[in-house]
Amino acid sequence: MTFISLQFLVFFMVVSLWFFRLKNQKGRIWLLLIASCYFYMTFIPQYILILGGTIVVDYIAGMLIEQSEGRLRKFWLIMSLVANIGVLAVFKYYNFFIDNIHTGFQFFGKPISLPVLKMALPIGLSFHTFQAMSYTIEVYRGNQKSERNFVVYALYVMFYPQLVAGPIERPQNVLPQLKEFRPYNWDNVKEGLARMLWGFFKKVVIADRLAIATERTFTFTHDSSSLALFIGAVFYSFQIYCDFSGYSDIALGAAKVMNIRLMENFNQPYLSKGISEFWSRWHISLSSWFRDFVYIPLGGNRKGPWRRRLNIMIVFLLSGLWHGANWTFVVWGVLHGLLVALFAFGAKKNTGANSGIINAAKVAGSFLLVTMLWIFFRSPNIVAGWTYIKKTCSFIGGSNYVVLNRVEVAFSVLLIIIMLLRERLLKTHLIASNGKFYFYTAMMVIICYYFGVFKENQFIYFQF
Amino acid sequence: MLKKIASYFFIVFGLAVLWASTSRTAMQYISDKRDGTKWWQTYPCLHGDLVSLSYLDFVTRFNPPPDLTSLKKPTGNSPHNTVLYLHGDSYTYHLPDSIFAGLNEFHLIDRNHGMNYHLDTTKRNILVLEVSERYLRTYYGGLQIFDELCDSIIKKKTIAASEENITPSYASIIPGFHVNDLFNKYINQNLQGNLFNYNFIIPMFETKAALNYYVFNRASGDVVISRDRNFLFLKETVSLTDIGSSYVPLTDADITWMVDNFNKIYDHYKENGFSEVYLSMIPNSATIMQPDGYNNLIPGIQQDKRLKIKIINVYNAFKNSPVTLYQPGDTHWNSKGRQLWLDLVNEKLINTN
Repeated sequence: MTFISLQFLVFFMVVSLWFFRLKNQKGRIWLLLIASCYFYMTFIPQYILILGGTIVVDYIAGMLIEQSEGRLRKFWLIMSLVANIGVLAVFKYYNFFIDNIHTGFQFFGKPISLPVLKMALPIGLSFHTFQAMSYTIEVYRGNQKSERNFVVYALYVMFYPQLVAGPIERPQNVLPQLKEFRPYNWDNVKEGLARMLWGFFKKVVIADRLAIATERTFTFTHDSSSLALFIGAVFYSFQIYCDFSGYSDIALGAAKVMNIRLMENFNQPYLSKGISEFWSRWHISLSSWFRDFVYIPLGGNRKGPWRRRLNIMIVFLLSGLWHGANWTFVVWGVLHGLLVALFAFGAKKNTGANSGIINAAKVAGSFLLVTMLWIFFRSPNIVAGWTYIKKTCSFIGGSNYVVLNRVEVAFSVLLIIIMLLRERLLKTHLIASNGKFYFYTAMMVIICYYFGVFKENQFIYFQF
Repeated sequence: MLKKIASYFFIVFGLAVLWASTSRTAMQYISDKRDGTKWWQTYPCLHGDLVSLSYLDFVTRFNPPPDLTSLKKPTGNSPHNTVLYLHGDSYTYHLPDSIFAGLNEFHLIDRNHGMNYHLDTTKRNILVLEVSERYLRTYYGGLQIFDELCDSIIKKKTIAASEENITPSYASIIPGFHVNDLFNKYINQNLQGNLFNYNFIIPMFETKAALNYYVFNRASGDVVISRDRNFLFLKETVSLTDIGSSYVPLTDADITWMVDNFNKIYDHYKENGFSEVYLSMIPNSATIMQPDGYNNLIPGIQQDKRLKIKIINVYNAFKNSPVTLYQPGDTHWNSKGRQLWLDLVNEKLINTN
């Protein structure tokens, strides 16, 4: 069930109302766990066995790590990481690996045929695997006590709002909240619902509208004019932002209704003045995961400038691979890494406050760079991505058809401006006055219905 | 107190509507009960399935006058002892046996229910597999037909059914109950039907359809307007990602896979005693009416030299027809399209030895 389905709306209503009718935390935890299992199983029921298996492994590993010292402690951590990464490797990367072996042998004129895995990727596998790993690593580091209550630990991994597309949470933030009984709080309910509505707006009104145009330009690249391709690329930047941050808004809002605060995942990334800043504002839960569990353990910036840049490249290579088993994601990650490493050289030279025009130019430049790299992210292969970029920059003619008519293209731009302004000017979703809240809710429902594009589209990040 | 009662009411209501929209039995019951009940009647499908899906009843070009032309009787006769088994979909539902050339027996097989047959080998048994292009890869990408259309005595299933079907037996906790019974892939359509598909809510849908049509030149929901603005297409037949689309990119391996499957099907039914097995692929309306960018799925299969199954070449006949063969607001053909298909089938029935 996706967040933008009727099934989710009814499910959310039942679970939230039931949650507050229960008078003890034990009942609430069980309710949320059962609800989360149902939520996950609506995608492919059988895959809950994979998720359940990793939960059991990490639950036991957490206790063993805590009870052990020295090399044994490290051994249990490695066992847990191997189990988690092993699941990822099998379900997400095995076929990619085999495909490349096939291609390699074919290149040398000796084609071979190795067995491939005929299974769809379990939904949200990369998200909950990383969340599970953050638990065992934090227990190993002594930052988190192992969780003895299996139901609480299982819920930490499976909590339905963030189960399939994050934010990738830390145990220190979520586990204490799951154990504490918190009474009904109307302000939290209002804030959560308002945030969910904002997420729905971003997803169905903006992202899914822009998707109509991007689907066309990324499929019929050879027929499209440079202008159409440019519009498609810019629209894709906003599509993926509204899609993913819209999902995060709904996730954070749904959790907030139940008095659970999840970490923020976005902070106006397209207003960044550089690529490094972009990565401190985009998918924050993943960036901080890589920073804390890969970059810093590798030495971070403590081992000299060149080692720092190597560490950056490793992190972005892994980040690219995390997003998908395709060379397009690898290229996307590596290029981002190169840009971050490059700008790391120039960082010290930038002294003093910049004028508004320079800042605006930096924001525009960063946005265009990010947009160009999203082309690789969206394209089916590297050649298609490169062709798209070349055609966009060559200013040649072709079809300007992007499916949307001119009115709708202008309307889409207006929606993007409204979205950017709202996020810039209003930092909170809480509407104190009840009257204003009811009015806002009614207006957003009407807008989402009448201007929403409903086609049962999954959120882009579910595939990761 | 009122809040408490209201919250319990909504919990029970929510659970009930989720259950009803999941259960196939409950949905069948609701569907039966809603027919003929006035105040909660469903939105009537008066002008074609696509017009109904997109709420574009107010656009006259998609709603031509009803086509009441009846099918012509065949001019020739097939050999007297011919038995026709027609395995099809909505294109061939409700076809009477009188329109086929001189049959001894006629069996119309609904793909959703299948059939157990036992052939009288003294007769000339002809199997025609009719499939619309949008279901071609979904259905014949697997071999579930062997389970659904099989000899009642031999029950020969030489090849396992669909490889994609993961057995749910691990979850059979209660006899007869499987975990998959808790889930229904059509739950959102069912919920929409149960919660919103009432005549008194329809003006709201029509307003949105009018907004999209007049301001954005688009249709709502799962329907797309053709580039010449004269036809409606089902979105899944023109999208760039759906397996049933006329434009989704195809590889040689995709064609090979389909050809291999049709060869297995041909061998299987010939071995089971059928005199001949025909495949009749009905093109999506987009394939014929908007051919630019067509992925050539049907010609790709038909022209493959390894293909054994005999073809009733609807694609070529439709492509070369000077008249329009599809309804403007429906996924299906019009009476001329149906007649043309029937003529092709009868030609095979008469000429097959």
